[in-house]
Amino acid sequence: MSTRLKDVIESLIFVSLEPLTLEKIKNICSEFAEMEIKEAIQEIIENYASNQRGIQIIQAAGGYLFSTKSEHDQWVRRLLRMEQKNKLSRAALETLATVAYHQPMTLAEISALRGVDSTYTLKTLLQKKLVKITGRKKSPGRPLIYRTTDRFLTYFGLNSLSDLPSEEEISKILDEEKIFE
Amino acid sequence: MEEAREYQVNLEVFQGPLDLLLFLIRKKKIDIHDIPIASITREYLDYLDRKEKINLEREGEFLLIAALLIYIKSQMLLPRETLTEEEEDPRKVLVDHLLEYQKIKAASALLREKEDKQMMLWQRTALPSLPSKDELELTEVSLFDLAEVFLTLMKKKEQENIRFIHGKDYSLEVKMKELIDFLKENRYLDFQEYFDHQESIEEALVSFFCLLELIKARIVIAVQETLFRSIKVWLRQEARS
Repeated sequence: MSTRLKDVIESLIFVSLEPLTLEKIKNICSEFAEMEIKEAIQEIIENYASNQRGIQIIQAAGGYLFSTKSEHDQWVRRLLRMEQKNKLSRAALETLATVAYHQPMTLAEISALRGVDSTYTLKTLLQKKLVKITGRKKSPGRPLIYRTTDRFLTYFGLNSLSDLPSEEEISKILDEEKIFE
Repeated sequence: MEEAREYQVNLEVFQGPLDLLLFLIRKKKIDIHDIPIASITREYLDYLDRKEKINLEREGEFLLIAALLIYIKSQMLLPRETLTEEEEDPRKVLVDHLLEYQKIKAASALLREKEDKQMMLWQRTALPSLPSKDELELTEVSLFDLAEVFLTLMKKKEQENIRFIHGKDYSLEVKMKELIDFLKENRYLDFQEYFDHQESIEEALVSFFCLLELIKARIVIAVQETLFRSIKVWLRQEARS
């Protein structure tokens, strides 16, 4: 029985282009208990991790999805004829970090915290769907408020916002002075 | 001397005034909670002086912080009547801001590491998503393409339509509405199929005429999915409502 469930879940993850959440799997496999499902998922993940497979299952944005392994990066890029994926600019990354830690935020708040007008940067982040508009603030002018998206989580391989670098990690890197050239 | 040389950095490398300020504080090994405002302001302004011209669009923000620094200094110089414990250090607002910004900067660096790692992983999401129905690579067809197909159809019709029955009159207006309603319901109309089902040459002619009118009015669009495939008529997106 449990092997079958495992195979079912594997297929579900396979066809999903976005991370497949436990919630969704539970809805689809409603005849199975949550424990069973969780165990099956764990088994699949371990199978992929231990067997010498080219792909793995990673957890991102609260779901599961197939991914290649980093050691095969250059081969995949050959197939896709891609030199290197474009990284985010420093300004984009900084703006994104600002939103991630302080969301929900308005453009004025983002700009104030960075000390730099962030209109343009925010626009590009919106286009990349790394941030989204989630409403308007109930303050004069009713400015738009922004939040990070699930795509943001997937982009950085984070499972949820609580996976963002912690205070400790941040103070550690600050002590190392690594970020100051 | 050596120190002075180290400072040969352009304003452009900084993400903004706070970035520059943090850089100076670090370089001078200053305790961020006890910033000597006068000397840091001097350093800061030296940087701005390096620029021959201040571009207000971009460097205006640098000036804003410069003004803040000078303001803080002036506040500190003002004699106070009482110096209680609770009295706020005029630098506090700036320091809090700098600390927060510093955190963001550190977090950015950590996120960059994650980005680097993640870039080596490829997911099925990374591939371009399949185009949706509306985004098929369609080529808009010309009037001649339409006329050609129409003529072939008419020839076919002529052969099978020997009986000449006088029927109803077809009004352009009614037909046009019929076409649009059909499109609203069915998303698209197969040109060939549609004319195959017309009752008479007369009706087909009116229909064809209507179609041309609708294309001209940019209400519908006639497209071909690939060369030599059937022509389809779509309602233009903006006319759909």
